[in-house]
Amino acid sequence: MTAFLTFHWGWLTGALLLGLAMGWIAVVQHGEGLSKKTAQIVALLLAIVVGVAVTRVVPGRPGYWLDLGLVMFAAYLIGCAIGSALRDRFVARQMAAGRIPVRSDPPGPAAPGPAA
Amino acid sequence: MRGLFRWSRKWWPGLIPLAVLWCLAAWYDTVPMEQNLAAATVAALKSDVLDKTRITVAGRDITFSADAFSEEGRRSALTSVEGVPGVRLVNDNTRLVPEAKPYVWTAQRDVVRVTLSGSTPLPAIKARLQDAAKAALNGVEVVDQTGFARGAPARFDAAVLLLIEQVARLKEGKVTLSDKSVSLSGIARELGGREAIWASLRNLPEGYSVAANDIAAPPYVFQANKDPVGGTLTLSGYVPDNKVHAALVEAAERKFFGEKVTDTLKASIGAPKGFAEAVTRALGALSRLSTGSLTVADREVTLSGDALFDGAANQIRQSLAKELPEGWKAKAEISVKPAAAPVDASVCQRLFSEVLGQGRIRFESGSATINVDSAGLLDRLAEIALRCPAAGIEIIGHTDGDGDAAANQALSEARAKAVADYLVKAGLPADRFKTSGQGSSVPVADNDTEEGKAKNRRIDFLVR
Repeated sequence: MTAFLTFHWGWLTGALLLGLAMGWIAVVQHGEGLSKKTAQIVALLLAIVVGVAVTRVVPGRPGYWLDLGLVMFAAYLIGCAIGSALRDRFVARQMAAGRIPVRSDPPGPAAPGPAA
Repeated sequence: MRGLFRWSRKWWPGLIPLAVLWCLAAWYDTVPMEQNLAAATVAALKSDVLDKTRITVAGRDITFSADAFSEEGRRSALTSVEGVPGVRLVNDNTRLVPEAKPYVWTAQRDVVRVTLSGSTPLPAIKARLQDAAKAALNGVEVVDQTGFARGAPARFDAAVLLLIEQVARLKEGKVTLSDKSVSLSGIARELGGREAIWASLRNLPEGYSVAANDIAAPPYVFQANKDPVGGTLTLSGYVPDNKVHAALVEAAERKFFGEKVTDTLKASIGAPKGFAEAVTRALGALSRLSTGSLTVADREVTLSGDALFDGAANQIRQSLAKELPEGWKAKAEISVKPAAAPVDASVCQRLFSEVLGQGRIRFESGSATINVDSAGLLDRLAEIALRCPAAGIEIIGHTDGDGDAAANQALSEARAKAVADYLVKAGLPADRFKTSGQGSSVPVADNDTEEGKAKNRRIDFLVR
């Protein structure tokens, strides 16, 4: 795995940065996001795909692309998590300083976002 | 943590650029990564001894095909490939090199090349044997068609190295090693080669044996070539020892009075029985030819060339086979030299004097029997006599000063008559010859020395 990560570090960094950006945005983004049911379906599908990758049933190049996709996805998720966490802290600090009003949680559809 | 779950439901839009990024990564990295893995795999297998290795990479999966020389070697190679960093799956297509039973190795030698075929156990041994063959067969093309097989007998390489040395001693033939049994056939390159091969085979590693040794010795060849233009007689080929060598050269000098003897004979064992006698007789026949060559191969004598006249040709054909020792075969391909232009009596006289100045007619000691060594000289005299058919010839015998005068007189007359008889037998009319003897009364040199005596014992030809 180390060799794999070393070889693809550029693309993985890209995915991580993409995740950071998406995570940064997601904290203050309007809307509900995915519904709980969709999220569950997505999680199930993801589990199946991970299972397929781990059991190495897909041979040759498609197997490699699957691994690559999953690792990039993992990097993206880590990026998202870090991005969101950072943005959350940043927002909390600004709210504490009183520069933006405290909004109700969850935010209403018409409530203005801090980034808007 | 709750926040993370909440935010994560909004992370999905980033999946679209992520998918694009994924496609790009797959597009740009697949082939370089495969090449990288292939190179790493080849490097990992560097110390493994394998044949027909083939590595195919698809994604991170490697299809590994190879022939291994042992089960341990096969497993070790497989472990090496599995240990290459970045490899996901290894499709194992390895197998063991097939086992040969019986284990056969062959070297076939013909005129231009040596072909190695059969089995060898390992690449290193194959290379070593090939190098040894090239070194031993200096300059001869070596074609290595051997393949790999397991099951070689112990000390296979030592045995084969010894056999390669024997192949170098062959002119043509085949050497086969089947398990631990050696078979040889063909012809040795040099006299004594067969014996040398026999001796070397005693050094085969323990357990190896000679099943068949049908190596034949090369023919024992002696050659003589008479070249009247260069005035040389060239002797080449083999003689059994120095004594026979000296005797043959001496005989050649006696028989060929006008030619310089060039001697390139080599002493070697393996001469057939009666060699010296047969060659001496055959040289006598060659001395009677104007131009010709003699080849003695084992027990077969081949004489070819031009006799000086018809009668001589017939005599040579008939006598050659009869004169040879028992068990010898003769093949005479004798033609007749075109007759020289007739000349008048004075030219004939000059020619007789010239020839008799070069060589002397020899007789057995104290007798009128012509020595066989003088046959060539007498044929030359007969040929000259044929060129002046109208001239009468007086043949005069002389002796040295030793002994009783009356006996010398009788001997000189008898010797002159013997020469005339020879010429008549050669086909010349008897009425052309008149014989007389002068005993020791007309010496041409001092009778006190052996040399002078030899000059005085002579036959003169006088054309009238």
